[in-house]
Amino acid sequence: MSGRRSRPRQSASYSRITDDQINDLLPKLQALLPEARHQSNDRASAAKVLQETCSYIRSLHREVDDLSERLSELLAATDTNSPQAAVIRSLLM
Amino acid sequence: MIPPHSSAAGDASSVAGDAAGGTKKTKARRQSPPESKWRRGAQQRIYGRRLLEAIRARPADPRSIKDAADSALALTAGGQTRWSRAVLFGRSRRRRTVHLKAGGKIRRRQLRRKMVAEASMELPPALRRKKVRDRLRVLSKIVPGCRKLSAPSLLEETADYVAALEMQVKTMRALADALSAATLSERDPVHDPHGRGENLES
Repeated sequence: MSGRRSRPRQSASYSRITDDQINDLLPKLQALLPEARHQSNDRASAAKVLQETCSYIRSLHREVDDLSERLSELLAATDTNSPQAAVIRSLLM
Repeated sequence: MIPPHSSAAGDASSVAGDAAGGTKKTKARRQSPPESKWRRGAQQRIYGRRLLEAIRARPADPRSIKDAADSALALTAGGQTRWSRAVLFGRSRRRRTVHLKAGGKIRRRQLRRKMVAEASMELPPALRRKKVRDRLRVLSKIVPGCRKLSAPSLLEETADYVAALEMQVKTMRALADALSAATLSERDPVHDPHGRGENLES
């Protein structure tokens, strides 16, 4: 992390982000998006891929939030009833 | 499924060690594509164990559980990516993360000026359009620890982050399903003649 002042963070290619680099990475990203798996989407525009990536990440965050809620409820429910608690705690401990 | 040991502490220190020389390492190393890495069963099991440990160590409210899930995910990532390091080091401070640097100074402003200058000059045509740059900026705010990255690095971090999040969701859902099945079978033993609850411990 030191020396960032004296030279660019990456190698000399930092000042020349090539077309190839971007064109290489965008399809890779696109392949991770759920839509791409259903349609054979050949090279959507960069803007579209980025936009869908943003919304996909946001929806994944929401799913994590919902699952956290669900897990919290499940764990709370076990404390009231000791037969359940035995099973749940055996999973957690 | 129950972890006999606690590896969380050990991993945290190794992550800290990676962070010191992190930039050089990620540049030189060719990592396996994020999709295959995060979809391997081994990673899911490792994450599942860490998730359980982390949940156990915290109160059971939703925010703590989400906190546990994110910490466990960053640990499982192994500190090889910026987003995972940002998540781990963001734990010790509240929301506004101060990016750790050797000199301890915040160089955000300096680098942003540089990035904007680069952006207007030597970019490939795809990146010169304002729409794309705007979307990149939004993306850099969504992925942890990536606000100052160049476009190729940001895209790489994003790919890894997306794959990791998918695994996180899959594992949490499996855990929730297992717990609710255990809860249901406890409540209604008539419908559980084969001891479904026991399968959960295998």
